[in-house]
Amino acid sequence: MTITNSRVRRLRRRTPAWGFIAPYLVLLVLFGVAPAIYGLYQAFIVTSVVGDPSFSLVQNFIDVLSDYRLPGSALNVAVYLVIWLPILLLVVFTLALAMDAKRTRFATLTRFVTYVPGAVTGAAAALLWLFMFSPNVSPIGGFLRLFTTHNGSFLSDNTFALVLSVMGVAAGAGGWIVVVYGALTGISSDVVESAKLDGANAWQTVWHIKLPLIRSYIAFILIVSTAQGFQVFVEPTVIAAGAPGQVSRTWSINQLVYSYATEQSNYGRASALAILLLVVCVALAVFIITKTKFYSTGDR
Amino acid sequence: MFTQLGGRLGRNILFAVTILFFGIPIVWLLLAPTKTNNGLSFQNPLSFGNLSQIGTAAGNLFGYNHGIIWTWALNSVWYTVASVVIALATAVPAGYALAKFAFRGRSTVLFVTLLTMIVPSAALILPLYLEMSAVGLTNTPWSVILPLTFYPFGVYMIYLFTTTSIPNSIIEAARLDGCSEFGIMTRVFIPLARPAIVMIAFFAVVGSWNSFFLPFIMLTSQDLATLQTGLQILVSSTGAINGGNLSNIPIRAPEVALAAIISILPILMVFLFAQKYLVAGQTAGAEKG
Repeated sequence: MTITNSRVRRLRRRTPAWGFIAPYLVLLVLFGVAPAIYGLYQAFIVTSVVGDPSFSLVQNFIDVLSDYRLPGSALNVAVYLVIWLPILLLVVFTLALAMDAKRTRFATLTRFVTYVPGAVTGAAAALLWLFMFSPNVSPIGGFLRLFTTHNGSFLSDNTFALVLSVMGVAAGAGGWIVVVYGALTGISSDVVESAKLDGANAWQTVWHIKLPLIRSYIAFILIVSTAQGFQVFVEPTVIAAGAPGQVSRTWSINQLVYSYATEQSNYGRASALAILLLVVCVALAVFIITKTKFYSTGDR
Repeated sequence: MFTQLGGRLGRNILFAVTILFFGIPIVWLLLAPTKTNNGLSFQNPLSFGNLSQIGTAAGNLFGYNHGIIWTWALNSVWYTVASVVIALATAVPAGYALAKFAFRGRSTVLFVTLLTMIVPSAALILPLYLEMSAVGLTNTPWSVILPLTFYPFGVYMIYLFTTTSIPNSIIEAARLDGCSEFGIMTRVFIPLARPAIVMIAFFAVVGSWNSFFLPFIMLTSQDLATLQTGLQILVSSTGAINGGNLSNIPIRAPEVALAAIISILPILMVFLFAQKYLVAGQTAGAEKG
């Protein structure tokens, strides 16, 4: 990861870059790195019901990996990710590109409306989504009843991934649309104009000009949203809290992490599972970074 | 001509369907305070209840604990403003430097920044609490403000924007003109990066305003609570959502919906305000100068 381009290297000699970065670095260490390292250390502390905590490099990891709930939660998250991520990316890029193609008032209104559901969080989100997905009181009740099981319940573990995906897209798309739209407006209009003069149609402009120019944004969105998907927590918690007994409270891996930390007060196991989760996300991030040459400084 | 029309029609249909999909929850939420708790279950979900019911819901909500909701709102404003100002003051120069200067450790800082963004927050919250507790800041506003000033997402956005949209030639030109490095950042870079800065400022406001676990863990006294934590405590203590409100406190689903509308209003106002500036920046003209 030492991609430096010659022009940037030339810039370097007289630049006090660290002065610009130092204040941020202090915050990065204090509120990012230090807590993470402490969390890592905690993963090696084994708490037991009797006796003092002990130190073990592997015990918490063994305990967590052999938890009977983990395979189910991992499968749930995998299914969720497979449904949610493609829909999210499709919605975000289609809408952002359409808004950028012609910047009309209608496009602006659409951008605003897509953002609103994501702004509702916490207790309010619990209320909102619970009503949305309860067939008898929901505005889309007729649609939901198409999926209800014979006993009348909608939220079984089987349909849950689908429900969460809809909710995840409704709540998550708006923010990314703002980001992608911002990236698209940052493209110099000269580039797009000259492509049009060369006879490129709208699709060609998108595929060969616009998307390649914002590819580092695409990589970033892929990394962060994949990690968000793996760590899905708020959505299943919200619905599980509103419909007790209908869905497992450890439906996702991250809920299992919280269950270790809060219900069992076993911070070591919580940290161990959180680290395993992080390892998967980092492996994917590194894969995406190397595939897209994410850290090149560009040729401009 | 025909494809032009087809494209426009296609786009408008796409937008209309989108508004329908994203709009239904919003419309439901806006209508919820007009109904009674029972009405929410038995009336048409998208019907308008009764205007006077909003007054009842508002009376119940603002009357709770002598209007403590105003204290929570003020706390939210103060924590948000303080953390966003510091977050921007640190993230903007850092993102700029990471994009435009090559120095030892550049990729490392970028990678660690990305890493901290994808660390499960469950793993960080207890260490953060212990950290704040060690310096005696728990149950003070600073225990919420300080961790929120760390803004890796903002740093990344500025970095991405700067590498994609700000040509080196502009900075080199300013340097040749004898501008100081600090001057280049404040007088050349920041005006050009305004759309990106406005965008991260907006996301920082939302992040701080909506942050839940941090104030929930750090603050114990009710007078310091934010709108989000205060409402959560209120809702869970009255069972307003699970339908099991057996207490005398008149906080039920319509009150919670009203509280939801009140707590997202500032965000939506900031969004509408910021939207104007998201599009502005074009560096094409600057480059030719």
